[in-house]
Amino acid sequence: MRVSSDQIEQLHRRFKQLSGDQPTIRKENFNSVPDLELNPIRAKIVRAFFDNRNLRKGPSGLAEEISFEDFLTIMSYFRPIDISMDEEQVEQCRKEKLRFLFHMYDSDSDGRITLEEYRNVVEELLSGNPHIEKESARSIADGAMMEAASVCVGQMEPDQVYEGITFEDFLKIWQGIDIETKMHVRFLNMETIAFCH
Amino acid sequence: MFLLLPFDSLIVNLLGISLTVLFTLLLVFIIVPAIFGVSFGIRKLYMKTLLKIFAWATLRMERGAKEKNHQLYKPYTNGIIAKDPTSLEEEIKEIRRSGSSKALDNTPEFELSDIFYFCRKGMETIMDDEVTKRFSAEELESWNLLSRTNYNFQYISLRLTVLWGLGVLIRYCFLLPLRIALAFTGISLLVVGTTMVGYLPSGRFKEFLSKHVHLMCYRICVRALTAIITYHDRKNRPRNGGLCVANHTSPIDVIILASDGYYAMVGQVHGGLLGVIQRAMVKACPHVWFERSEVKDRHLVAKRLTEHVQDKSKLPILIFPEGTCINNTSVMMFKKGSFEIGATVYPVAIKYDPQFGDAFWNSSKYGMVTYLLRMMTSWAIVCSVWYLPPMTREADEDAVHFANRVKSAIARQGGLVDLLWDGGLKREKVKDTFKEEQQKLYSKMIVGNHEDRSRS
Repeated sequence: MRVSSDQIEQLHRRFKQLSGDQPTIRKENFNSVPDLELNPIRAKIVRAFFDNRNLRKGPSGLAEEISFEDFLTIMSYFRPIDISMDEEQVEQCRKEKLRFLFHMYDSDSDGRITLEEYRNVVEELLSGNPHIEKESARSIADGAMMEAASVCVGQMEPDQVYEGITFEDFLKIWQGIDIETKMHVRFLNMETIAFCH
Repeated sequence: MFLLLPFDSLIVNLLGISLTVLFTLLLVFIIVPAIFGVSFGIRKLYMKTLLKIFAWATLRMERGAKEKNHQLYKPYTNGIIAKDPTSLEEEIKEIRRSGSSKALDNTPEFELSDIFYFCRKGMETIMDDEVTKRFSAEELESWNLLSRTNYNFQYISLRLTVLWGLGVLIRYCFLLPLRIALAFTGISLLVVGTTMVGYLPSGRFKEFLSKHVHLMCYRICVRALTAIITYHDRKNRPRNGGLCVANHTSPIDVIILASDGYYAMVGQVHGGLLGVIQRAMVKACPHVWFERSEVKDRHLVAKRLTEHVQDKSKLPILIFPEGTCINNTSVMMFKKGSFEIGATVYPVAIKYDPQFGDAFWNSSKYGMVTYLLRMMTSWAIVCSVWYLPPMTREADEDAVHFANRVKSAIARQGGLVDLLWDGGLKREKVKDTFKEEQQKLYSKMIVGNHEDRSRS
């Protein structure tokens, strides 16, 4: 990951701040980030940090705690695309980022986003509004799932069951959306400020 | 058997006598002015000398760094990531639009891509957020010869090391014992003085004496910390029946404010030394001390404060509405309780100069005694106090709004960042209402579409 040593130092400081000067972070440590509470999919984001698939430690399951290297591994999914990268590298980068998002949806790690999992995500995103009943959230999820199915499989027979969105289908849905240019966190270009007193 | 040189005992005696004389002279030079409230200007001179030394030290380090061709100053960081200012709606629409396979009039209600915005925002806040930064000590841009603040500076030559060593010697062997002696004197005088005044019958004489005993002891404590305070706008000082409100950085705030004015304190009854001081103080004049169980009862607290404030003969109350110590770069949310009782509020802004010693009390890192020792082994504590003009709650204003107004005034005067966040976040979690706002916004977007569809 081409991040400068300055940036790594800052991320390390941030890591220490989150972990309370311990060598590893646990799920509870993310409670100390108040802005994160505003996020409706907070639970999924925190879970993504401990997901063994994202940490490249296994096909499923959650880690108990993560070290600084693991922290950097997760952060690397959000690195910006380098202009010096060739097409193959960009494609690889894109796949990695999309895989990260796929893992967010596919919570039971079976390689498919089922209707239940889809509904779960929509409900979380909409759960803050007291005026939306669970039924509406459900119907929204169902409608969206059907659209996704039509993109992936085309016209379905009336009794054909759609098992779920696989990663290949997922990639198909995201075709045309330049996710790799949007899914990144940019470091500030630091300039020294004149020392005035 | 050891050989004693014939004049050895003479030297020891001379040393002992000269040290005692020196100490007594110093005590006299410091305590006597404190009693009468005058100042010889010794501390200001001390401060100027220190500044010159720091400037010289910084120059040496710059030169040293230039010779080695390295960058000395760490880049000024106000955050490590660039946050996009686009709103929720714009960004989600943009992503949907770029998924060009769908016809534009057939806008779907929910897209797989919608999750992306929240995911990225979440990542950004994990990497860098506003609030947690406020709770660690402010980082300096020059070195003040204290090793505890030496975060970024490594280019220290021999001369600087010698200077630093000298500094350590002076601070720990000369200043520290002196300060401890002064603090001891101050506190014991306070306890003894207020107890004695307590035996007098109530009246003008008792009040006069009580005021001066309090002021004198606080002034001694100020000198015990070598606090160099500049007061601005003293004409706005709080009057009887008012409420004095200030931002909170450390327990020293109390000493700083109380050495310039006669206040009634509010607080919880403690055990130990602090409890002894509290009990003694309340004999001389009415302070408001709460038992631990009473603190939780907000109505009781409000009632007692209101009673105190309505009695015009009683002193102005000193209160810190943030509820906890903040690191003096910002002002956090003021708790509304003190603003509900309807008294005139006299806001006070306190800003410490971190160059001489960091006054912030990180209560999760240091205990009280460690903190006081750190304070007493710094060079000095330099701060500015601004007395702002009094404010009252307007007719149609609610307590929260009034509290925010006072807070903004204090933040603006002290040059601190005005934050909406609750200082209590240092220990607790965010209330659920904040999370709901964000979710409501997103769901309005989605359901808005849904309703249009079902209507047509």
